[in-house]
Amino acid sequence: MGDVKLEHVTKRYADVTAVDDMNLDIRDGEFVTLVGPSGCGKSTTLETIAGLTIPTEGTITIADREVTNLPPKDRGIAMVFQNIALFPHMDVYDNISFGLRLRDFDKEEIERRVERATEILQIQGMLDRMPEEMSGGQRQRVAIGRAIVREPEVFLMDEPLANLDAKLRVHMRTELQRLHKELDTTIIYVTHDQAEAMTMSDRIAVLNEGQLQQIAAPLTCYNEPANRFVAGFIGSPSMNFLEGELTADGITTDDFAVEFDVAALDGYGPGDDVTLGVRPEDVHLEENADELAHPTTPFPAQNDVIEPMGDEIFVYLIVHDLEGGGQEGAVTERDPDEQVLMSVDPDADVEMDARVQIVFDRSRLHLFDTRTGDAITHGLVQPASGVDQRAQGAESEGDD
Amino acid sequence: MAGEAETSRQSQEEEDAGLYERWVQESMQNPERVYNGLFYVVTLFFLVTMMFPFYWLLVLALTPNEQIANMGLLPRGFNVEAFVRIFELLPFGRFVFNSIFLALLTTAIVLLLASLAGYVFGRLEFPGRQPLMLLILAISYFPPAAFLLPLFDLFTGNVVIPLGPVAIQSPVLFNTPGAMILPFSSLFMPLSIFILTTFYAQIPDGLEDAARVEGTTRIGALFRVIMPLSAPGVATAGILTFIAVYNEFFFSFLMNDGQAQNWAPIVWGILGYQGQYTQFYNLMAAASIVGVLPVVILVVIAQERIVSGLTAGALKE
Repeated sequence: MGDVKLEHVTKRYADVTAVDDMNLDIRDGEFVTLVGPSGCGKSTTLETIAGLTIPTEGTITIADREVTNLPPKDRGIAMVFQNIALFPHMDVYDNISFGLRLRDFDKEEIERRVERATEILQIQGMLDRMPEEMSGGQRQRVAIGRAIVREPEVFLMDEPLANLDAKLRVHMRTELQRLHKELDTTIIYVTHDQAEAMTMSDRIAVLNEGQLQQIAAPLTCYNEPANRFVAGFIGSPSMNFLEGELTADGITTDDFAVEFDVAALDGYGPGDDVTLGVRPEDVHLEENADELAHPTTPFPAQNDVIEPMGDEIFVYLIVHDLEGGGQEGAVTERDPDEQVLMSVDPDADVEMDARVQIVFDRSRLHLFDTRTGDAITHGLVQPASGVDQRAQGAESEGDD
Repeated sequence: MAGEAETSRQSQEEEDAGLYERWVQESMQNPERVYNGLFYVVTLFFLVTMMFPFYWLLVLALTPNEQIANMGLLPRGFNVEAFVRIFELLPFGRFVFNSIFLALLTTAIVLLLASLAGYVFGRLEFPGRQPLMLLILAISYFPPAAFLLPLFDLFTGNVVIPLGPVAIQSPVLFNTPGAMILPFSSLFMPLSIFILTTFYAQIPDGLEDAARVEGTTRIGALFRVIMPLSAPGVATAGILTFIAVYNEFFFSFLMNDGQAQNWAPIVWGILGYQGQYTQFYNLMAAASIVGVLPVVILVVIAQERIVSGLTAGALKE
């Protein structure tokens, strides 16, 4: 039973609170990833679970046993470290069997387990090598082997792939998933790489500034982010955020309007400051709008920078103050970050500085409270009355 | 004609000046040559100043004692017998054994305690770390004479500590290894603490964390991972401590009565060859050479052996 429970775990240092009232309930056999930017407290959280750090407040339960103040060796955990942390003075066999030898396992049992681990990780025949004679990937496998042979209740992994090169990292990602399937043990994984989190986890716990932002399945975090931070962190490239204000029949920004049924919102009404979130793949050129079930009203934009990626093209769009062609000074009024990034098919015909009309996929828009950042709704409901979208669009253009 | 002679003299002078100038010129263009020359000069100087005492000891040891007055630089005779006589006249082997025993035991104690202290100072953050470290270093500069008298009183059982109704008399350590090992350890510990602190501080935290997760305690991680990985530092601290104790004179001389069976070290053995009426200078010289040998062996051969040996041992675990 490898379930892990964190209740009100807080870790304060002299001048910072690294982890702030963390509550996690991780089920047996689950692959949970703690993800967040550096300094968000994810590693500290993992260290409190490992016992390398004792929390200031709160309790930690592993396999129905309270372990808050137990030393790491008595917690039934094994850990894989970012810097791999193989003992440089021991060969691979001694490294892998270190924990077993400390626990006085008999020799045959140790050999049996080491052999199984080397099979799983495909490092047979390397047992008498020293860590320094191995490549980064091999070392990381040995480090994972050292964790596997202990047959722990819970695996803790602290950015185990961070020090590997990009290609190997992707490869090890799949291996870790295979490993999880094979061992069926709880894995708590820490990374700052949202792609790793998305691809491997059963659930993602997004952390920021020591606080849990959301814990949910990867696609839930992607499609229904709990707040603006999660929305911006999960997904690459990042979601576009456009600040605006609620009106009686939609949201208006300085540059465009999206009309929807504001009455359907709970607790928000006209006049509230909200932020519209839209992912690059949900921004479309008007000519492709027919494919969408619920496109928004088209509005004008101008291509700024174009980045062909091969399988798609990223287009940075300027949406603000297009009319004033020569009066560029006016643009500075608004945050330059408030460009809109659009992802289009590689065969799309986009040109630098060209004027385009763009639409959003209404069902995939997100609305956040500008002040708190909390998500208000995901997917905007069509307004009840079927307004002529073209006319409305022209009107909103006129508003500018 | 006179003009011709003048020019020839001039050219001669020019040539003379030319030799020196050419040498200067060459040296400036190729300073490497001068540096090389200087290197050999300095090396020779140090070799002579350092090796001459040993040569002189050998000369004295080989010269029969009756001819030893007004010695020159060369031995008068070849009296190897002195190296045998030293063992016949006194149990000199026991003196050497005592010295080595004291040095080894002190080294073991120092390495153990200094490792713990080195771990604390090198790897843990705590308030007052810096002042405490300075205090420990300051201790190593205390003059031993300053605490000779109190220690002597303590180790001869003259200190009585009243504890309510009972009074505890300090144990009589005089003439036992304890009377020397205790002050040795405290005097030579600070250097080892300093060395080990530096080495232990460099071992990555991840390795210690890994060891602790794998099943060691903090102290277990220290002895299984941090210490083996700091083998060169541990060897350095150990060798320095061993040599310092082996060479120590003050407490070695004062904390026992000079009898070999009472743990008197080599210094007593060497001084034992001077009687009231005769001074066996040749025997003292021979004994000095024998006494130096263990350290010479340790430094010349074992230093490398110990460093590589410790590392290799650590590699195999």
